[in-house]
Amino acid sequence: MSREHLETNIIRILRILGIIFFIIIVAFPFYWMIVSSFKSLEELLMRPANLWLDIRKINFNAYYEVLFEHGFSRYIANSTYVSIITVALSVTLATVGGYAVTRLRFRGQAFMSYSILIIYMFPAIVLVIPLYVVFSHMALRDSIHVLILVYLAQTLPVALYMLRSYFQTLPVEIEYAGLIDGCSRMGVIWRIIIPLSAPALASVALYTFMIAWNEFLFAFMFLDTPEKFTLSRGVVQLAGSVHLSKQLVMAASVMVTVPILVLFLFFERYLVRGLTSGAMKG
Amino acid sequence: MASLTLKAITKRFGKVMALSRVDIEVKDGEFCVLLGPSGCGKSTLLNIIAGLIPQDQGTVLLDGQSVDSLAPRDRDIAMVFQSYALYPHMSVSQNLSFGLRMRGTPKPTIRESVQWVARLLGIEDLLDRKPRELSGGQRQRVAMGRALVRRPKLFLLDEPLSNLDARLRANVRLELKQMHHQIQGTMIYVTHDQVEAMTLGDKVVVMRDGKVHQIGPPEAIYSYPSNTFVATFIGSPEINLYRGMLVRKDGLPHFQGAGFSLNLGRLQIDLKEGEVEVGIRPEDIGTGQAESMDLRAKVEMISYVGSEKYIHARLGDEALTFCAPKDTALQPGNVVHVAVDPGRVHIFHKGRRI
Amino acid sequence: MVNRQSLLHQEARLAFWMLAPTFIVVMAFVVFPVIWNLWLSLKPVSLGALRGTSLFEFNLSLVNFHKVFGDPDFVPILLTTLFYTVGGSILSIILGLTAALLVHGEFPGRGLCRGLFIAPYIAPVVAVTFTWSFILDPQLGVLNWLAVNTGLLTQPIPFLSQRWMELDITGMRVRLPLALTSVILFEGWRYFPFAFLFILARLQSIPDELYHAASVDGASPFQRFYNITLPQLATVLSTLFLFRFIWTINKFDDIFLLTRGHAGTKVITIKIYDYAFGEFNIGAGSAVAMVLFAILLLFLFIYFRWIVKEMR
Repeated sequence: MSREHLETNIIRILRILGIIFFIIIVAFPFYWMIVSSFKSLEELLMRPANLWLDIRKINFNAYYEVLFEHGFSRYIANSTYVSIITVALSVTLATVGGYAVTRLRFRGQAFMSYSILIIYMFPAIVLVIPLYVVFSHMALRDSIHVLILVYLAQTLPVALYMLRSYFQTLPVEIEYAGLIDGCSRMGVIWRIIIPLSAPALASVALYTFMIAWNEFLFAFMFLDTPEKFTLSRGVVQLAGSVHLSKQLVMAASVMVTVPILVLFLFFERYLVRGLTSGAMKG
Repeated sequence: MASLTLKAITKRFGKVMALSRVDIEVKDGEFCVLLGPSGCGKSTLLNIIAGLIPQDQGTVLLDGQSVDSLAPRDRDIAMVFQSYALYPHMSVSQNLSFGLRMRGTPKPTIRESVQWVARLLGIEDLLDRKPRELSGGQRQRVAMGRALVRRPKLFLLDEPLSNLDARLRANVRLELKQMHHQIQGTMIYVTHDQVEAMTLGDKVVVMRDGKVHQIGPPEAIYSYPSNTFVATFIGSPEINLYRGMLVRKDGLPHFQGAGFSLNLGRLQIDLKEGEVEVGIRPEDIGTGQAESMDLRAKVEMISYVGSEKYIHARLGDEALTFCAPKDTALQPGNVVHVAVDPGRVHIFHKGRRI
Repeated sequence: MVNRQSLLHQEARLAFWMLAPTFIVVMAFVVFPVIWNLWLSLKPVSLGALRGTSLFEFNLSLVNFHKVFGDPDFVPILLTTLFYTVGGSILSIILGLTAALLVHGEFPGRGLCRGLFIAPYIAPVVAVTFTWSFILDPQLGVLNWLAVNTGLLTQPIPFLSQRWMELDITGMRVRLPLALTSVILFEGWRYFPFAFLFILARLQSIPDELYHAASVDGASPFQRFYNITLPQLATVLSTLFLFRFIWTINKFDDIFLLTRGHAGTKVITIKIYDYAFGEFNIGAGSAVAMVLFAILLLFLFIYFRWIVKEMR
């Protein structure tokens, strides 16, 4: 067997083994999360090493308890509200701002575009102390809307940067054509940039949603009143209050995980389609 | 339709002088071609006329009125881009009607105009397609149509044919010329292709490094290039250009080149002796055996271009290219007598035509 | 040329209004807190004094920094932070590189694999930390029970709550920082998708001609990987390290939720939290935050001075 064939075969075997390894380590925690959430407390305590879920013993009690006795129906609504408002504001402001930084001529343009990146560097734990102090001082801390503003500040720079990179790839001639055809700058954004940027806007929206939906630290530090809790905050609260009943924590984890994963899988395909491909030069 | 006047347009990008004091006058209905190598500032000038880029100094006048304070949409111009810049998310008919819709034109009028332009360009069957479903030539037509449909005061065309393949380009060029006759619009056409410039332009503006080198009808640009740049840029094969001395022999002017001497005998010019450049177009050179011919050149290479042959020869220490009929018997190694009509010799002093 | 100026002026004014909301939000919630942090770090304030007016008095001192640097935990915390950050960054990049190489190429189920491999990065931090805590739990966890039941272990391992573990590797006795290692492994698991996505994109942009040329030149698959793939990836790998380092050193949630900083996993961000909200010493917390900033700046300096230079 030639070296080429030998190595090709070795690679083939290694690849299969490697993919199986990755599938197991990636999927197992999610599998275990779901399986455990459908088991009863007795099952979990008596047979902790049972990897399988007996279909006849599927148990929805954990979900019922979490939703109606631990307030998660409220948390789901709160998280949805916070995430959607954050996405709407962030995408709108980032589109307008990203366009301004990309195409308009004004002093400080370069500064604006580069300072965006520095925000990447600031750790959340450093921001949380002064914000905690100030909002406690003003008695505004325990508020969902302040939380939305914090999330907006966390996501806007990156969203703006992502959109800026995308806008730069759009041929400026199309905008010129729009300007000559009678659009104002806002008209160009609305009628040309936004329709052409659907894939980028979708990924920015997805990214922002993910940040807002998953965020833990600020929700943990800011929210005191259970009625205002987001899901992440609620899961931590629940985990701190039950010690043995892991099926409850797992059911809560499933509730916070499934929406974001489903959303992501649904959008991943959509993102692949590039709207501009083939529309320009022959 | 309108006339266009550019007065002392100046633009710099950082340290680069993109345009310096450009003055151009375009009459109503005229087809004006801006010709020059890439980077000469011709596209920048077009963008300034459109109002897409503000100039640093100077004024753009449409029909004698300054449009400097007007946004692109208020200048009533249309532009065809090199990349066509069709709106990818709109169908052909939406592309065509966009400008009219933005201006609040009544719907029946829009429909009529779109129909008219689609018929004119033969794209009636494509109206429901998206740009990505069109061929290069079809996209080019839609781009033209988008400009025509608005019947603007001024058409700006930025290398509209450069993305077409060679055969298609020649056809579209002809159509463009016919269309201009038909609609009598004022057109500013940017290109780096001299053939396009010569065939299309009523007036050609030759530019380099942000400066206008010559303005005139194609015949004048070709026959009376005002400087060595214009002389070498226009014409294919390229003009033969020699540096040498102007001397008087027996009272007659002669050009003394490197290893050869050219009798400028009948030329009635009062030139001082001194350093000059001399340009001779390849087709202005005749060959023969006659004694009267005073130049001898040695043939080195022959390229056959179909309709004729280009002979690459050596004249003294210089290279000489001239045209010969396609059935010429010349072979590499041959020595030929060549003659030049002194009336067709271009003489330049310090780069400028005398 | 007043008119022409006014067109540009209009454009600049439009740009101002388009950027103003972003600017204000970022100023208020990012830039201002950072400056405020510096101010707080120079003041002896506790949470109790928050409502007092002393916050705005100009009585600066270095007392917080004295406290921070005098803390006997200070040096161990820096070492833990360094170990955690470098370990977590490198592990996530290695896993990401491996996964990208595995998925690169054509095979059935490739899209599914790609989607699945991104899941750890997308899932909420609370869900995955609690799930892993549960899996690794010494009393209730499936991993320990499986290992004990199959005879792999004689007794369960408290992965997240034991500081050291004695290992006997062919006679050599090694002390493994158990909880810290577990946390680093978690870090690798959760963040490899980030490296995976970047490396996969880079892999796909390497032109096939390059591999064809190398094959024609007689390079075997491993040689092609070593001589073409790896050099092509050098830039993306070093950029990934930059980003992962910054984000890992800034990371708080993961360790906080897994171990609360116990059992030898106290990194600098946890220390900030402990000072500020455990001891209610806001000033000391801010002072440690400034130390974190200093480390970040030092890292950036070294990175751009040495690593980037080395690359070229």
